Amino acid sequence: MSSAMSAARSDDVSAVVILLDVNPYFWGTKTSTGFTFEQFFQHVLVFINCILLLSHLNQVTVIAMGASACTFLYDSAAIDGTASGRSKRDKQPESRSTTITQKLQEFVKKDEAAETNLAPVENQFSNLSGSLSMALCYIQRILRKPTAPPQPRILCVQGFPDAPQQYIAVMNSIFSAQRCSVPIDACIVGSQHSAFLQQASHITGGIYMKPPQPEGLFQYLMMVFATDLYSRQFLQLPRSAGVDFRASCFCHKRTIDMGFVCSVCLSIFCKHHKACSTCGANFNVKKGGQKRKQPSS
Amino acid sequence: MPRVRVISRNFMEMVAGLPPAKLDLLYKRHWTCQAVLRSLPPLAKLYVMRLLYVEEAVPSKSLQDWALPDAQQKHQVAINRMEKLRVILVERKKEVCYRMNPVMQKQLLQALSISKGPPRDVMPGNVAVRLPTPAELDTYAMKQWESVLLQLVSSASSEAPIVSPNFFVIDMFKLAGLLLSLKPNSAPSITDTGFQFLLMDTNSQLWQLVQVYVSAAEDRGTDSGELIGFLLELGFHTVGEAYSVGALTTPLQKVLEELAALGLVQLQKGMKEQWYIPTKLASNLSASLSESSDMQSSEVLGTQGCIVVETNFRVYAYTASKLQTEILRRFARLEYQLPNLVVGALTKESINTAFSSGISAEQIITYLSKHAHPHVAKRMPVVPETVSDQIRLWESDRNRVELLSAYFYDDFPSTEVYETVLNHARSIGGLLWEDASNRRLVVREELHGDMRLFIRRQSGAAGQRG
Repeated sequence: MSSAMSAARSDDVSAVVILLDVNPYFWGTKTSTGFTFEQFFQHVLVFINCILLLSHLNQVTVIAMGASACTFLYDSAAIDGTASGRSKRDKQPESRSTTITQKLQEFVKKDEAAETNLAPVENQFSNLSGSLSMALCYIQRILRKPTAPPQPRILCVQGFPDAPQQYIAVMNSIFSAQRCSVPIDACIVGSQHSAFLQQASHITGGIYMKPPQPEGLFQYLMMVFATDLYSRQFLQLPRSAGVDFRASCFCHKRTIDMGFVCSVCLSIFCKHHKACSTCGANFNVKKGGQKRKQPSS
Repeated sequence: MPRVRVISRNFMEMVAGLPPAKLDLLYKRHWTCQAVLRSLPPLAKLYVMRLLYVEEAVPSKSLQDWALPDAQQKHQVAINRMEKLRVILVERKKEVCYRMNPVMQKQLLQALSISKGPPRDVMPGNVAVRLPTPAELDTYAMKQWESVLLQLVSSASSEAPIVSPNFFVIDMFKLAGLLLSLKPNSAPSITDTGFQFLLMDTNSQLWQLVQVYVSAAEDRGTDSGELIGFLLELGFHTVGEAYSVGALTTPLQKVLEELAALGLVQLQKGMKEQWYIPTKLASNLSASLSESSDMQSSEVLGTQGCIVVETNFRVYAYTASKLQTEILRRFARLEYQLPNLVVGALTKESINTAFSSGISAEQIITYLSKHAHPHVAKRMPVVPETVSDQIRLWESDRNRVELLSAYFYDDFPSTEVYETVLNHARSIGGLLWEDASNRRLVVREELHGDMRLFIRRQSGAAGQRG
């Protein structure tokens, strides 16, 4: 499959799914660098315009990841489809930025309402796993269309640090992205590196970058993340300095350097367990050893 | 389809050929800027994006660092292209520097920040416009385009003309070299290029005509810069919306009528005003400007294929279209025609007639597979291998004999002289045939001078004949 994909990469048409971190816990507290959500949002809007300007076949989809939920903010393919419909004729078509901003406001309100029902610790993290799965589902739909699909990629603009409890879900998404050869690019606007996204871009062949000056986000987006998959073969792009490969354990979601791995299902644990909580395999060492010896004797 | 690329690139070449003042004038409208941007090679597009917010001139060295060392060639192509189209301007101070064309830069920045609406005002909804449905518009465009092509085909068939001749279209075809009048005032006949033209896909055909149209524009009294600007802009119009004709300049209004003949726009007349509705053909025109749009070219008009090719060389075409039938007739022997079905066979004779009018085997096979019936199109390969191989074999049959002009040498005085001459001919790579027992050989024509000198030097007693 991968060979077929790379063979098809002879053009620069791309479908970009942008995952935007709109987590209020991140944007609300962040004042030190002076990079406000408003500025951030402006930069992204112009970036979307740029992508759509590059080719008439380019598609941009924006997914907002909030604290408790995620939603589609904008889909260039869908909007264009309805705009040419007869029903909208009398109305002046709204500009792209107003549409996105309105959607975002709606989402933030809903997100706020949903959050109050959750435990306070749980909901502080951005919903990366949810939005990644949403993006992948959407890309599957693009890929299954009968017309030759554009080259899909995911761009994740994350601010809040990784949520340990999402480890398994995020890793699963990463591997499915790898299977459909969808690169995951990551742009970290927060202060901490994201181990999840480092691994994601490493595994899927995307670009991971944490801009040293988030205020200049737009320039980073243009210089690095606007590059389509075809041109990536020819341009100098930032290479990741190092990837944090550490895994999280399945039992307490802690990031660990060394741990126990189930020999049957490869689940990871920080402590020794008698039985695997995922597949139920029995780890009783003495019994196991005897069993293995019995057939030979 | 690479041909679309070649042709549309030629069009941009033409744009690049405009004098700088005209180009700058063209860049005054941000629609043309966008269209030009989209026509650039992928790398160049990204470079524009990177330079967009840079107001200083950038040394060419730092631009070079953007590309990987292996991709310097692509980099150079991109830079050259941008320079030609005056997207970037060269400045020579201490070293070569590039600066973005300020006119274009301003327009593009504007385009980015306000994001797009339609380039011209849509007719307000209160004016009683009866807009055609998308399907109607597609049929209209297709019909218009078919009638254009029929003009070409009808001049090929000796029968009574199928459609009444449209002189504008015929003139275009003549300019493109697709039609040729042997005698003045006699009915023009189709040329070899014309035959090949028929087998191209719609987009390439359209491009070729538009190109001729633009290059002929100056003679017809239209400013080519203005025309190109309008054509580029047309791609950004919303398909199926009505735009007022009155808002255009007078020369462009005339142009619209001619574009309507090609099916690019549909003209409608109201009580006072007139408006035009761009069709899919128009939007695809600019779409194929970008280098990467082969994917869409196959179904420009959403036309469904209708051809089924069987392994026994029979061709079934479920069509009532005269054009399709005429095109099929170019390379297949038609056996019967039913109201919605044409049955033919690919025979050696029919294919050979096609070859003799300059159509290649590859063109026939691509045509058959591009217009395959949806049921067949899913199959791999679309055209049965036996058929496609046979067509290729027939083609190579024609090329089996190669004609070369040559000189024939004989009457060598001795075997030694013959041997040395023979060896000499072999060493310079011109030997075509030898006959040692009768001491004769044949050498390529272009080496005759060299051979003659050599033979003369060999004791001078050599005979030769042309």
